[in-house]
Amino acid sequence: MIRLDGVGMTAGSFALRDVSLEVPEGAHALLIGPTGAGKTTLLDAIAGHLPLDRGRIELAGRDVTGVPPEGRGIGLVHQHYHLFPHLSVRENIGYGLRAVRGAPRPGQSARVEELASMLGLAALLDRAPGGLSGGERQRVALARALAPSPRILLLDEPFAALDPATRQQLRRALRTLHDRERFTILQVSHDFDEALRLGTMAAVMVEGRIAQCGAPEEVFQRPATPLVATLVGVGNVLAGTVRQDGPEEAGRFPAVFDTGHIALAVVADREGPAHALIRSEDILVTREPVSAARNQLMAAVERVHRAGPVTYIHLTGAHPWVAVVTSAYAESLALALGQQVALTIKATAISLL
Amino acid sequence: MRPLTPARLALAFLGALLVLFIIGPLLKLLVSTSPGGILTALHDRELRDSIGLTIITATAATACGLACGVPLAWLLARTRFRGRGLVGALVDLPVVVPHPVAGIALLLFLGRQSAVGGVLARLGLEFVSHAPGIVAAMLFVSVPIVVSGAREAIAAVDPHLERAARSLGDSPWRAFRRITLPLAGRGIVAAAVLGWARAVSEFGAIVILTYHPRVASVLIYDRFTTDGLGAAVPAALVLLLLALAVFGAVRLLQPADHR
Repeated sequence: MIRLDGVGMTAGSFALRDVSLEVPEGAHALLIGPTGAGKTTLLDAIAGHLPLDRGRIELAGRDVTGVPPEGRGIGLVHQHYHLFPHLSVRENIGYGLRAVRGAPRPGQSARVEELASMLGLAALLDRAPGGLSGGERQRVALARALAPSPRILLLDEPFAALDPATRQQLRRALRTLHDRERFTILQVSHDFDEALRLGTMAAVMVEGRIAQCGAPEEVFQRPATPLVATLVGVGNVLAGTVRQDGPEEAGRFPAVFDTGHIALAVVADREGPAHALIRSEDILVTREPVSAARNQLMAAVERVHRAGPVTYIHLTGAHPWVAVVTSAYAESLALALGQQVALTIKATAISLL
Repeated sequence: MRPLTPARLALAFLGALLVLFIIGPLLKLLVSTSPGGILTALHDRELRDSIGLTIITATAATACGLACGVPLAWLLARTRFRGRGLVGALVDLPVVVPHPVAGIALLLFLGRQSAVGGVLARLGLEFVSHAPGIVAAMLFVSVPIVVSGAREAIAAVDPHLERAARSLGDSPWRAFRRITLPLAGRGIVAAAVLGWARAVSEFGAIVILTYHPRVASVLIYDRFTTDGLGAAVPAALVLLLLALAVFGAVRLLQPADHR
């Protein structure tokens, strides 16, 4: 568990202002925000590398506000890896093991081998970090941080510098490790899709403050402020199950996404439980149903919120929806509260996470 | 290569003059002694003792400089404290103090008549006309080289690496020993060798503090004033060869882009 209580500090041009946040034990929390919001500063403060001016930090139920970094039991992976250039990959990964315990070399090397094989580093153990690719370095940094089995893992944009395939691979490895060892993760990201994909919790940070915190779907669906809305993009997230509904071609197949109340035609690449993400700009709102459209639902207008040239329409039905249309179009619809309208969603506009 | 313009030729000519001015005298010294002369010099017991004393005292001075200078270098490179600029300047001060002036100052400070010198003498540590006086003089003149070299070497190591080590459970000292010291090691050793060479070449401060026992530079001066140039040349040549060996060692230790 990570608990921040009124944390305030200044480091150069970055400042944290009264940051309070609670990440439950075993959660995977994403810290999202624009560049310069103070996300990295917050991680450094939690890790004990920057002193606080105000507030307190509790980790796993223990007040660590004045504890030096080595006493906090945190694994930290920085965006720029910071591998030790004079040590081999094996020595890098095992670095924290020697510091914690006295001598049990076999056990310690077993842990190194285990992490190395899980992260696909087994063949690189005796190499120097200097010759590794970015993805390999990032995996070494992750293995090094996890070797001493920390209860808390802080990740600073761990996937930012990777190509999509490597990113996918590393995400999967991280999820496997997290499922197995149940440490608490706080991960900095500027990509909200990543929060929906990975996180059990999302905190949005703006100008040194936590602007909103909650389940990723909730933040995505109900941004607390217009700034959060522009950061995360307003949208609709549904939890349900994917069922194949046609022959597979090129790795994908037509399918039905079923929440229990709503069934939508989608294109999927795997069956089973999933989240469907529908951006609010991808929902067509009409007074009458559009003929021939497969994904068509009826919903009642709950609230209309005009924000300059665009208007957000919040609707209730089998699911709470939010759609965004141009304000001119919203006027032409002449919507009244409680009015039934038709929502049309293209199957290809639904992304499954 | 760009074509040689008259301006570039002029620049090259001026540079060549200076380089010749350095090589000329040293070459002249090398050829002034026959191989037999060098052999005789190497068998000269007094000269051998004096070279030995020089090496021992310079090594002791370098060791003292490293023991106190590396921690200071770390503080100057890694921390921000009140008076940091002043401390940095004070460490460099010996560079501008004329060497006989440093000798006089050390004599006043460490002589039996002074408070500090008196206490140390009662503890059995005599400076004036004793080997510790040589070490003190050498330390005074080599401190700026050792500290600034070590400081540069430490500053060149990314401080984030130490942070990473701290998060992996290292105390500040352990992180320094396992990460910064190995990475800055070459630079610190290069600084130590340069400081050592500076100590070996010292004359002005030593001659005032401790004429006897004589280090090599004092012996050369002594022979020159009592027996003339001919007697001084073989001793001078041996000291020059020692200095050249150290110079070569430093060049090997420095990264290629500094050479």
